[in-house]
Amino acid sequence: MIIEQIIAASIVMTTPILLAAMGGLVNRQAGIVNIALDAKMLTGAFVAVVVSSATGSWLVAVIAAALAGALVGLLFSLVITRANANMIVAGLGLNVFVAGFLGFILTWVYRSSGTLRLPDVQLLPHFLPESVSGIPIIGRALAELEPLTVFAWATVAVLPFLLASKKIGLWVRVTGNAPQVARSMGLPQKSIQDFSTSFAGFYSGLGGAHLALASIGLFNEGLTAGRGFIALAAFYFGRDRPVATAMVCLLFGFLEATQIRMQTAGLPPKLIGTIPYLMVLVALCIAGWRASRRKALA
Amino acid sequence: MVNASVESHSSAMSPSIWLEKGFGLAFPFIVALVVAAVILLVIGENPIDIFSLMAKESFGSERRIAATLSAATPLLFTAVATAVCFRTGVFNVGVEGAFVVGGIAAAFIGFSLPAGMGFTIIPVAFAFAALVGAIWLYIPGVLLAKLQVDEVVSTLMLNFVAFGVTGYLVNGPLLSEVSGNNVTPPVHEAAELTRLMPPSTLHAGFIVGILVVIAYAVWTRRTPTGFSAAMVGYSQRFSRAVGISVPASIILVMVLSGVVAGFGGASHALGQLHRFTDGFSPGYGFTGMAVALLGRNSAIGIVLGAILFGALASAGTTIQLFSNIPLDLVNIIQGTVMIFAVVEIGRLRLLTRRAAP
Repeated sequence: MIIEQIIAASIVMTTPILLAAMGGLVNRQAGIVNIALDAKMLTGAFVAVVVSSATGSWLVAVIAAALAGALVGLLFSLVITRANANMIVAGLGLNVFVAGFLGFILTWVYRSSGTLRLPDVQLLPHFLPESVSGIPIIGRALAELEPLTVFAWATVAVLPFLLASKKIGLWVRVTGNAPQVARSMGLPQKSIQDFSTSFAGFYSGLGGAHLALASIGLFNEGLTAGRGFIALAAFYFGRDRPVATAMVCLLFGFLEATQIRMQTAGLPPKLIGTIPYLMVLVALCIAGWRASRRKALA
Repeated sequence: MVNASVESHSSAMSPSIWLEKGFGLAFPFIVALVVAAVILLVIGENPIDIFSLMAKESFGSERRIAATLSAATPLLFTAVATAVCFRTGVFNVGVEGAFVVGGIAAAFIGFSLPAGMGFTIIPVAFAFAALVGAIWLYIPGVLLAKLQVDEVVSTLMLNFVAFGVTGYLVNGPLLSEVSGNNVTPPVHEAAELTRLMPPSTLHAGFIVGILVVIAYAVWTRRTPTGFSAAMVGYSQRFSRAVGISVPASIILVMVLSGVVAGFGGASHALGQLHRFTDGFSPGYGFTGMAVALLGRNSAIGIVLGAILFGALASAGTTIQLFSNIPLDLVNIIQGTVMIFAVVEIGRLRLLTRRAAP
C-alpha cells in the first residue's frame, strides 16, 4: 500500500522536473546553459491557472502555458544571441524579472499577495478507468496518470531518436558542440539556438502547467520552489542524454515524494533536499577528474 | 565580459569614448526605468509622480537616507565579493550561499560565546564568518583551478546546499528554544553592531562595508595579486605566457570572495537581524551581482550601485504603503538592470572592436 503511494507520488513529482529538463538539455546541446528554466515554469503555471479558469479547458490551458513559456524563451534567446548578453547573468536577471512581474500582476490585477485562487479551474484529467487501481503495485500510479506525464515520457522515448538521426537534432548538436563546423556548413546558428531556447521554454511552460493543474489548481509565487534548478541539475548529471536525464529526474522525484516520510524516520527534509545539488557537484568532480587524468595520460 | 574593468584603466581614450562609457554605465538603469514607466502607465499611474515619490522616500530626509544606506549595506559586501571574481573572469554566482553560511556562522558565535567577552565577540564572529565563507568558496575555486569544473554550476548548486544546510540548522541544532520556528537565539547584546543613527537600522556594518570597498580599490590598483588577477581576467593565455599562475589567481579570488561575503553575512546577522533566520537573505547575493555589473567592477561604481539599489529597496517598501504600487516593481527594475547590464557589455565590445584598428 505504502509502496503504491510512493510510486504514484514519485511519478507525479517527477513530471514537472522531467519536462523542464528535456527542454533544458536540448537547449544545452545547442550551446546555451539555460538558467532561467524556473522563470519559464513559473510563467507556465500562472498562464495555465488563468486560462484554465477562463476557458474551463485543461487542454487550452496547457497549450497556452507552453506557448507562453516558449515566448519568454524566445525573448530570452534573442537577448543572448542577438544582443550578445551573457547567458548566465541574463538568465538570473530573467528569473528576478519574471518573479517580480508575476508578483506585480498578482497584486495589481487580482489583489492577492502570493497566491492566486480562481474559480472553475479544470485540472488535468485522469484518463484511465478507475478500475486500473486494482492492479498491484502500479495500479495507483496508473489511476492517477494524466496526459502531461504521458507526454513527458513519450518525449523521453522520442528525443534520443530526434537528436541522433533527424536533421533538426543534428543541427542542434552541431551548433552547440562544434560551432566551427556549423559555421562552415552555413547553418543559421543563431536561429537554431533561438529555436532550442524556445523549445526549452515550451517544455518548461508545460512543466509549470503540470505543477499548477495536476492537483492543486492554483498559482503560488513559490510554486516552482527551485524546480527549474533541479531540472538543470538533472541534465547536468545526465550529461544531456534524454534517457539518463529522465532516470535522474525519477530519482529526484522519488526523493521529493519520500521527503515527508523520511522526516518521520528522523531524516531532516531540508538536508534531503540538498541531495540533487550535491549529486551534481560530485558528478562534475568526477567528470573533471576523468578529463584531467585523460589529459595527463595523453 | 569581465574585460571592461581592465579597459577602463587605459588612459589613451578619447573624450567621446568616455562619453560613451558614461552613457554605458547609466544605460541598463535607464532601460529599467523605461520598463517600469511603461508598466506604471499601463496600470494608469503617472510614472513621474511615482519616481519622484520614490526619490523622496529614499533621499528626502535624514531618516530616509539612513534607511537607504541601511538597505545598501549588505550589497556593498556582496557586490565586492562578486566583482573580485568577475574581474578575474571567474563566474562566481555563489556569493549568496557564502553570505548565508557566513551569517549563520557569525550568529552562532554571537549567541554561543560567553556574554562576558563583551564586544570582543564581534571580531571573533567576523573572523569565523570569513573563515566559513572562504572555505565555502574555496571548494568550487579549487575544482575550477585544478579540474576545470564549471564554476557557474558548482557555485549555483552550492547556493542551494547552503539554503538547505542552514535551513536544517535553524530548525534543528541551532533552533531557538523560546522564539518559535526558523530562528536562532538572538546574539548577546554586546555582540550587536552599534546603530549609527537610531531609530534607523543603519549600523556599523555600513562602515565596515565602505572599508571593504576601499580595501578592494587598493587591492585592484596597488597590489601585485590584484594586478595579476585582472590579467587572468583579461587573457589566461597571456597570463600564463608572462608567468602568472592562473590556478593560484582563481583560488585566491574565490577565497577573497568568500571572506568578503562572510563579512557581509556577519554584518547582516550582528547589525541588522541580531540573529540568523530562515530566509536570511532575500537575494542579496544576486542583487550584489547586479550592482557589480552596473558598477563595472569599479569601487566607486559599486558604492553608487549599492546606494541605488538600497534606495530602490527602501523606497519600494514605502511606496507600497503610500500608493497602490506593488513592491514587486523593485524586482522588475532589478531584473531588467541585470539583463541589460550584460546586453550593454556586448554592445561595448562591438564598439571597442570597431575602434581597435
